[in-house]
Amino acid sequence: MQMLFRWASKWWPGLIPLAVMWGIAAWNNTLPVEADLSARSSAALKDTVLDKTRIAVDGRDISLVADAFSEEGRRDAVTAVELVPGVRLVDDQTRLAPEAKPFVWNAERDVVRVTLSGSAPLPAIKARLTEAARKEANGTEIADQMGLARGAPPRFEAAAMLLLDQIGKLKDGKITISDTKVSLSGMARDLGGREAIGAALKNLPEGFSIAANEIKAPPYIFQAYKDPVAATLTLTGYVPDNAVHAAIATSASRKFFTEKVVDNLKASVGAPGSFNTAVIAALGALSRLSTGTLVVSDREVKLSGDALYEGAANDIRAGLGKDFPKNWQYKPEITVKPPAGPVDGTVCQQLFSELLAKGKIRFAPKRADIDPDSAGILDHLIETALRCPTTNIEVAGHTDSDGEDSFNQALSEKRAQAVIAYLVKAGLPADRFTAVGYGSTQPVAANDTDDGKAQNRRIEFLVR
Amino acid sequence: MPYLVSFHMGWLIGSVLLGFCMGWISVVQRGNGTSKMTARWLAVLVAGLLAASFAHVVPGRFGYWLDLGLIMFTCYLVGCTIGACLRYWVVSRSQPAG
Repeated sequence: MQMLFRWASKWWPGLIPLAVMWGIAAWNNTLPVEADLSARSSAALKDTVLDKTRIAVDGRDISLVADAFSEEGRRDAVTAVELVPGVRLVDDQTRLAPEAKPFVWNAERDVVRVTLSGSAPLPAIKARLTEAARKEANGTEIADQMGLARGAPPRFEAAAMLLLDQIGKLKDGKITISDTKVSLSGMARDLGGREAIGAALKNLPEGFSIAANEIKAPPYIFQAYKDPVAATLTLTGYVPDNAVHAAIATSASRKFFTEKVVDNLKASVGAPGSFNTAVIAALGALSRLSTGTLVVSDREVKLSGDALYEGAANDIRAGLGKDFPKNWQYKPEITVKPPAGPVDGTVCQQLFSELLAKGKIRFAPKRADIDPDSAGILDHLIETALRCPTTNIEVAGHTDSDGEDSFNQALSEKRAQAVIAYLVKAGLPADRFTAVGYGSTQPVAANDTDDGKAQNRRIEFLVR
Repeated sequence: MPYLVSFHMGWLIGSVLLGFCMGWISVVQRGNGTSKMTARWLAVLVAGLLAASFAHVVPGRFGYWLDLGLIMFTCYLVGCTIGACLRYWVVSRSQPAG
């Protein structure tokens, strides 16, 4: 041992090269050691749930800055770094993520992108929400501006996922969760989108409620264009269902006696209330125009075109609003067609006969009340009568053979008188017209079929 | 410690070799070494540095350099001891008794 001490007293010169080696080793290895420990620490934190993680290495000492989402998670993260081989000291600068109050999350859609903002409770949930938005937006850019915070209500993810499903149904708009209150605003992409979103919201997880649902539907549009040149009535746009579709088509074919109905209607949900009543009334007004366009957009009816004479124009402007439900708006833009030139009695008779061959004046069954669907043909008859102002006209009523002769006789007279009353009300002089009832004495077809009877029930205009 | 050793293996082997050479020479070197007083002061210094290292009182890179220096120094001492013992064994074998 004594020898060892004696030898050791002579070892000091080696300390000089040792010091040099030490200096070179320190110079060369400091940065690699720090890089290595930083990588190992990051790897150790891979499975922990942290936000804003920052690892700074000084020698073998690690400074860990991070937001954790629970006290346990925070401790686990620090322990994980402490256990990394080579780490000497850990400077724990972790903290719990701030608590959001209220906990607000937004999904906003505009033309070019879907923006997610507000708070998400965990990084994994944030990633899943972004992914769900990407799938739902179908190619639209996703802007993830979500931060992370504690304080999310229970079942937040399920609620947010359900709401993200609705983003695809919006053209633009915003969906917000504020604690457990859900607010929606914006415009649905398609007709029926608003209703689909409303139905989906019924499945919100327990505890969540709708604070405001201000999703608007795109306008529900129905259009009709009467083209006198092509003799067509073109129907486009939407109807609520097949039953309403059939009712509108039937009504159009009764009202438009000279035009062929071109039916391009599609069925879709989202129609305003009383759609059927309003559209049928508006079609009645359109049938009285020589040419015209009807546009029904939600609860607004726009009717433009040329009436056949001044009285009809006034009637259409003033009268039609009464046929609409109260909360509907009616905007008539009615002008009067330039009057056609006068003709003599023979031409007038020919015109009357042509009109009544194409269509007929209809009445309520067994009564003398004129069916409103006949307004179109009556306007045409009035326009024709105005062209031959010097002639006198016999309005002849005929019935089928059903019922008592005396009843039919009286009914045919009353119907002829009702027609004259209509003409007089429209501004024609009463002394030009004579009402005659023929009952069932002058059939034009056999009374043994429904079709024949229908032909026999008629009004004729005879120029005298 | 295992991390430091494995990461700086080359430098530590170098230190051992340096020590080995120094120990090899020290056996046959004539002249006086350090005085006892100096040796004691050196021992106190090394003990102080060891204490500082184990107590982790030196922060950051300086702490790392201190640890590295002490490990290299330890390896140097081990090398010296092995070198000296081996040389002493060789010398004593080559000089027959007498």
